Amino acid sequence: MMRLVVPISFTRAYQSFRRIALLLAVTCASCGIPRDPDGTVARVKGGMMRVGVIAAAPRIASDDTEPVVWEESLIREFAAEMGARIEWIRGPEAELMDALKEHQLDLVIGGLTQSTPWGEHVALTNPYHTTMVAVGVPRSAPLIRDLAGLEVAVEIGDAAGAYLRDRGATLISVRDPARVAGPVAAPDWKLRRWGFRNTGIVLRRHDHVMAVPPGENGWLVRLERFLREEAR
Amino acid sequence: MGQPTSVLPAGKHEDHRRGKRLEWTTIGIMVPVIMLVYFALGSSQAMKTAWVEDILSLVPPVAFLVAARYHTRPPNKDFPYGFHRAIGIAFLCAAVALCTMGAYLLYESAIKLVNMEHPTIGSFNIFGRHLWHGWVMIAVLALSAIPAIILGRMKLSLARKLHDKALYADADMNKADWMTAGAAILGIVGVGVGLWWADAVAAVLISFSILRDGWKHLGQVVYDLMDMVPTKVGESEADPLPDLIQATLEDMDWVEKAQVRLREAGHVFIGEAYVLTRGETNLLSRSEQATAQLKAMHPRLHDFVVIPATTLQRQGADVGEG
Repeated sequence: MMRLVVPISFTRAYQSFRRIALLLAVTCASCGIPRDPDGTVARVKGGMMRVGVIAAAPRIASDDTEPVVWEESLIREFAAEMGARIEWIRGPEAELMDALKEHQLDLVIGGLTQSTPWGEHVALTNPYHTTMVAVGVPRSAPLIRDLAGLEVAVEIGDAAGAYLRDRGATLISVRDPARVAGPVAAPDWKLRRWGFRNTGIVLRRHDHVMAVPPGENGWLVRLERFLREEAR
Repeated sequence: MGQPTSVLPAGKHEDHRRGKRLEWTTIGIMVPVIMLVYFALGSSQAMKTAWVEDILSLVPPVAFLVAARYHTRPPNKDFPYGFHRAIGIAFLCAAVALCTMGAYLLYESAIKLVNMEHPTIGSFNIFGRHLWHGWVMIAVLALSAIPAIILGRMKLSLARKLHDKALYADADMNKADWMTAGAAILGIVGVGVGLWWADAVAAVLISFSILRDGWKHLGQVVYDLMDMVPTKVGESEADPLPDLIQATLEDMDWVEKAQVRLREAGHVFIGEAYVLTRGETNLLSRSEQATAQLKAMHPRLHDFVVIPATTLQRQGADVGEG
């Protein structure tokens, strides 16, 4: 074998490496790293939090709560933790995101998912909630395992229609899927509300996120820690 | 005087094998390191440039190993001068790759700085802890620097011993590699304390270092392919061997004046000496004797002939940088 003259012992290096990493993690939880280039945390604390709410009711809910209310109630809790008043700004996504990008808002909520094209321009939190577009059947109907050849109902204009076609199902667009007697494709929380049984056939997963101004890392990490503790 | 068969000076075979093992070790260690860094990448431009440099640091070992496969082949009918130039060609490719990548990254980093893009580095959860991603990036960068430091030092001494410029360039690159990891760490720490520009500035510095590496190697390999006078490893100073040979020849009683021309071919020298003779007897055996004597004195003198001549070419004035 080659004479590998290694000046340090790897196990000892690993141990001290772990010790340093732990030390850093513990001490710097309190030393405020990462900090914000724009000082968002310092400004919001005990002050005002400008929250943009995307106008259209988003497809998200924890169990049976109204979708947008859940996100708003999360933010109310967060603001309470920060000792901040909330200024709600309701508007269309494009306007709110533009304002967020230019640091004129502190936060935007409203059904944003990880795949939002705005991700390049603003900072997205880690996903704090996952919803699924799934196939459900009425309580009286038998469970199904495969979609191929089946007729599946979907709300007019729902993207689930495209996913269904990919699985070989025949698509029926309806105005009110709740009244359909056969299988229906919809977000899992809507299926629950309509009283459908989830077949476990998942067409899509949506990882929900919130958005903060780009580079405000202290603010972002604060919100992420809050969401991790509250939104599970 | 038959055709030379092996191109390594006697006694260097073991060192050359060590060099090959060292380069294989480099590839074996750097590939997992590159994958590790990729998974910790995040949105730091500095870390991205450091990662690209990690990838580029694979090029010299690969070039060395590819060249090692070919350049020891004996000359044949189609390639009567042998395959020494394999190293030069491998390095030309490597240098061009370095220059291109360096220029591209420099452009990309400068644009981020000009556009005042604020890098976003969030947090994640590991083992039930909530941790800023920046710490992980710093840890991985620090880890990636360790093999570069150790391997670079091992290669440097071997490159001097072997007189191998490819290996030397590789050692040099390993040095740049751990320094760029340090720069990237500083950039991320800067972002951590709220200086958004620290990351882009570190990225600009790293791109400069890549570009400079590429430029340096490009110059070196072009000089080598242009058959510049042999230089010492890692220096621009001319090797004293041509002067030594000339002095040795001119000390011989049958030689009036000698003119020596050498070029580098990988680890060895190739060239000829034209000698103005004092008499005209036994020229054939005398020049053969002189050749054998010189080759015995200087093992790196690989493909060398002494040619009796009636006139010498006028030696040109000193050109180049000297």
